[in-house]
Amino acid sequence: MRAAAQGFGAVALESMLQKEAAAAARLNPLAAKPQHFPAKAKSVIFLFMVGAPSQMDTFDPKPDLKKFEGKPLPESLRVTSQFSDGTTPVLSSPWEFKNYGRSGMPVSSLFPNVAQCVDDICFVRSFYTESAVHAPAMYQVHSGRVLMGFPSMGSWITYGLGSASENLPAYVVMPQPEGTPEGGTPCWGSAFLPAVYQGTLFRPGPTPIMHLKPPAGMSDNRQRATLDLLQKMNEMDTAAEDAEMSARIASYELAFRMQRHAPEAVDLTKETEATRKLYGMDADRTREFGTRCLMARRLVERGVRFVQLYSGGGPVSIQWDAHKDLKENHEKMCGLTDQPVAALLKDLKSRGLLDSTLVIWGSEFGRLPNSQSGNGRDHNPHGYTMWFAGGGVKGGQIVGATDDFGLFAAGDRYHMRDFHATILQALGLDQNRLFYLHNGRNEKLTDFGGTAIKQVFA
Amino acid sequence: MFLTLRKLTALVSLTALGAFAWVDKDLAWVESRKNYWAYKKPTLAEVPAVPLGGNVIDAFLDEARRARGLTAAPMAGREKLYRRLALDLTGIPPNPGELDRFLADRSTGAYEKAVDRLMATAQYGERWAQRWLDVVRYADTNGYELDLERPHAWRYRDYVVNAFNSGKPYDRFVQEQLAGDELFPGDKDALVATGFHRAGPIHLVGGNQDEEMNRQEVLTEMTSTIGAVFMGLSVGCARCHNHKFDPIPQADYYRLQAVLAATEYKDIPIVSAEEKVRYEAEAKAFKERRGVVEKKIKEIEKPYSSAIKAEKKAKLDPEFLKALEIPKDKRTKEEERLAKEAASQIEATWDEVLARVPDAQKAERALLRKQLHDMDYFAPQVMPSAYAVANMEKAPKSYVLKVGDYKKKLDEVEPAFLMVMGGEQAPREIAGRRSALAKWLTSGAHPLAARVMVNRIWQFRMGTGIVATPNDFGLLGGKPSNQKLLDWMAAVFVDRKWDMRAMDKMIVMSLAYRQDTVNNLANAKIDSDNKYYWRMNKRRLEGEAIRDSVLMATGVLNPRLGGRPVKVPIEQEIYDIIFTEGEPDNLWPVDRNPAEHNRRTLYLLNKRTVRLPMLANFDQPDAMSSCAMRSTSTHALQALTMMNSDFMAAQAKQFSKRMAGECGADQGCRVRRAYKVTLGRAPTAVETRIAVEFFAKQGSWDEFSLALLNRNEFVYIP
Repeated sequence: MRAAAQGFGAVALESMLQKEAAAAARLNPLAAKPQHFPAKAKSVIFLFMVGAPSQMDTFDPKPDLKKFEGKPLPESLRVTSQFSDGTTPVLSSPWEFKNYGRSGMPVSSLFPNVAQCVDDICFVRSFYTESAVHAPAMYQVHSGRVLMGFPSMGSWITYGLGSASENLPAYVVMPQPEGTPEGGTPCWGSAFLPAVYQGTLFRPGPTPIMHLKPPAGMSDNRQRATLDLLQKMNEMDTAAEDAEMSARIASYELAFRMQRHAPEAVDLTKETEATRKLYGMDADRTREFGTRCLMARRLVERGVRFVQLYSGGGPVSIQWDAHKDLKENHEKMCGLTDQPVAALLKDLKSRGLLDSTLVIWGSEFGRLPNSQSGNGRDHNPHGYTMWFAGGGVKGGQIVGATDDFGLFAAGDRYHMRDFHATILQALGLDQNRLFYLHNGRNEKLTDFGGTAIKQVFA
Repeated sequence: MFLTLRKLTALVSLTALGAFAWVDKDLAWVESRKNYWAYKKPTLAEVPAVPLGGNVIDAFLDEARRARGLTAAPMAGREKLYRRLALDLTGIPPNPGELDRFLADRSTGAYEKAVDRLMATAQYGERWAQRWLDVVRYADTNGYELDLERPHAWRYRDYVVNAFNSGKPYDRFVQEQLAGDELFPGDKDALVATGFHRAGPIHLVGGNQDEEMNRQEVLTEMTSTIGAVFMGLSVGCARCHNHKFDPIPQADYYRLQAVLAATEYKDIPIVSAEEKVRYEAEAKAFKERRGVVEKKIKEIEKPYSSAIKAEKKAKLDPEFLKALEIPKDKRTKEEERLAKEAASQIEATWDEVLARVPDAQKAERALLRKQLHDMDYFAPQVMPSAYAVANMEKAPKSYVLKVGDYKKKLDEVEPAFLMVMGGEQAPREIAGRRSALAKWLTSGAHPLAARVMVNRIWQFRMGTGIVATPNDFGLLGGKPSNQKLLDWMAAVFVDRKWDMRAMDKMIVMSLAYRQDTVNNLANAKIDSDNKYYWRMNKRRLEGEAIRDSVLMATGVLNPRLGGRPVKVPIEQEIYDIIFTEGEPDNLWPVDRNPAEHNRRTLYLLNKRTVRLPMLANFDQPDAMSSCAMRSTSTHALQALTMMNSDFMAAQAKQFSKRMAGECGADQGCRVRRAYKVTLGRAPTAVETRIAVEFFAKQGSWDEFSLALLNRNEFVYIP
């Protein structure tokens, strides 16, 4: 009967395959479940740039801004943001753009390495979101609402698809070592979904997961003996048909396997020198993010369903939030991440994993074309760029556009629910069949329903 | 910021018509659905024959079971029953001495005596409070990025504990929470009770804010919660459009919201005027003392922050530098802007400064920081206040908002209650709106108020509600598995002057509650979900109760009641996810009295964005919306925390120490005692053998203790 918690809002089950999956799920809620319809992506790596990179300085060139340099925006385009009122002068991009790849995609000089991968990337330039404040906007891009209290995308996806790994968490989160994004834990929380679907924090080193190591002084053998004692006792009072008790017994075995496999999964000494170099692990600047990107690849390779990776967090100096000194900020943040991100794409591709891995690069919003503090930019929720690669995505293309100033999404604009619908589509999940009854409402990631951006896919 | 509009055909026609027209249209629609069982008053069915030893609950359940060919399970054994009762009523395993007394008492009234005794403990209210706090989405912090602590919120938590312990009638309980300030002026407890309205999250952040939109968010949060908590209705769904299932027109939502339109959040001091003066003086003196240390830190930093500023200044674009150097009173407006921006550009951040401070001075600075943190730890108590609400001087007008967007005001509405339940008007005067709402809910005539609460009590004790969706009695929610029983209990509840404890006792006294959890394949074939209660449901303890049970078993549980939330030691990984842009020291000042670390989990700081793994892994609700029923997911991270955390390692050690203390070197005694304390029973012969074998193969007592505390039986209510 406690399975009611699962059955409560369970994904509608129809085929025999799904029935079998449901039986497996009673024993292990993370057992792999079939897609709703065939699709290429099996896993997701979401590269999240905390604090909001500027679109007109990275992937959405706006040469016209030069003409307005130092002058205010046309009156009709002055928007109030969190810290500015729209009257400050326009700031053109301090960086040059060049076209790259066979597709000739423009990328600024901030991303020389990512620029080499543009033929695998689909840039969507016309996303918009509802809040100009970090935390609510982060909640929206992660969970579909500006409010706290809704399950994150990774939770929905593991709820829908389970895990392909029997030895690792299904949903892994790797924040910036210096600190957490403003939205904090709800960004990877399961909210009203059962706790099994929450993101699990991973950190580099021999103990990637909290409580992974036996208590001090307990050897592996002694732990196994203790576990055997526990399991012997548990089995004594567990009837064969008691799924919940059996699941509890199984969870201890999974935990034990995880103790062995998780450190191996993140043991980067197993990688070749060339691979480590590719990710920039030989250079101070790129070592940290390179390490996490390489960990992400290893995790996906081992069946982890969703990897959430944050660049930025904690002190303002290590966020993308360039309210001032855009130049210094973006040069620093891009410098930390450009090579590792490109390496991740190249590495996934060379291992044949890119087709089944959807890589997303994005943030909670973009930045304004007019200045703040003279040399920075305030938040812009009205139009900004995020990009997709792998997992059935058609690379080397641009979808959507912003106006001449890079301020408002123009033409086909895409809301966060469209962003989520697109991701679910890539994974073979029907947004309307992925729901959970909570307080009298069938809650969905896309809430009122989004529209998957068809052009994104090949 | 804008809300997004979707196709809402109902609304298109709604705006096209005049106010009267759409009220009429709503009326017809509401009328067409008002015959749904939940909107009709409970009716009293004839009570079937009461089975021997049972009560009316069993009469109704027997009837339902018999009609479906189901047979009730045998009674649970007395040891099991007592353990169930103790865990259910107090949230901690039975005290072995009391258990023995119960087992020795073979009189017919022994069980009832045990029920009465456990219900009379202070832990009874604590156990209930945990449940009620889930329902009202209580936490000790605001949520969102800053997630600040609420220095006075805990008084509401203590109010709830006391309400259950003092046998406060439910009608009074509801009235105090909704309108204690209006209905019981001068009553401090009733004022504290209004903290109910503020138990949920609130988004406080700097910069340009859309105040009216924020106010709408607050009102929505308050209104939806009242609907879910007291009426079991998803009223909030009608914020943007007519409810899709239930006869709740959008206008109904805004009329209900209008009841709260003049309600504002307010911390109200609950001390005398003289005390207030003393508190203010202490706060001022403290600020001065603190200022001295802050100044010393600034002095250390000064040369470095000045140097950074100077360097940044040297790099300023000429126009900014020029503006900055013009004296303040001589700047034009444009120069003033440039100067302000220049000042911002040359600011030195804490991490830039700290990176330059030489090691020796860094150590000095660290000492001063520590001094600051010590001062904060021992800071004078903040002025005791009720975390409450109050009425504004003037009531803002309320409107129906198109798709919930305050910029799209439709018709003005007056405060009133749901049409499907009569649609009575609330007073237009500011004071009295919330009172009227509370009185409407507790008049005894409301079709849902009593049903919803008896269903919560039932669900708490039986594992599932008679209505399986306790916060949704509407058309999308579950239908009652036994409406006659639900209605009878609701009627009795009102009849017995809303005595929650009487209803609670009635349930645990029933034969249904006392059944075994044993499976019956024939029954399972007919009713696999146990909707008709042909056996007792096995229930996993909440993370809070698991932690409390561990502390109880190891003998260190600190029984102190109430007070400020406690910060227990946390894992480094958890500390690291506390959000700050500032210097990340002293973000979690652990209570310096170790005995406080062993308080019941109810009293640990519940911070919305920083949750203890032991709780979060075991499906602790996120306190963002009302949680009527926790999920029970089972996964590997629970096992890791239960096997490997420092807390569990320390508790296992403590447990073996306790066993050694009570039994000395006598292994047999220790094993028997260990079973008694953790599981409330003696080990079986097989269990004894398993234990002996474990110790024979170098198994240690710490390991044995850890295994026992991890056992399924330990974390489930039998």
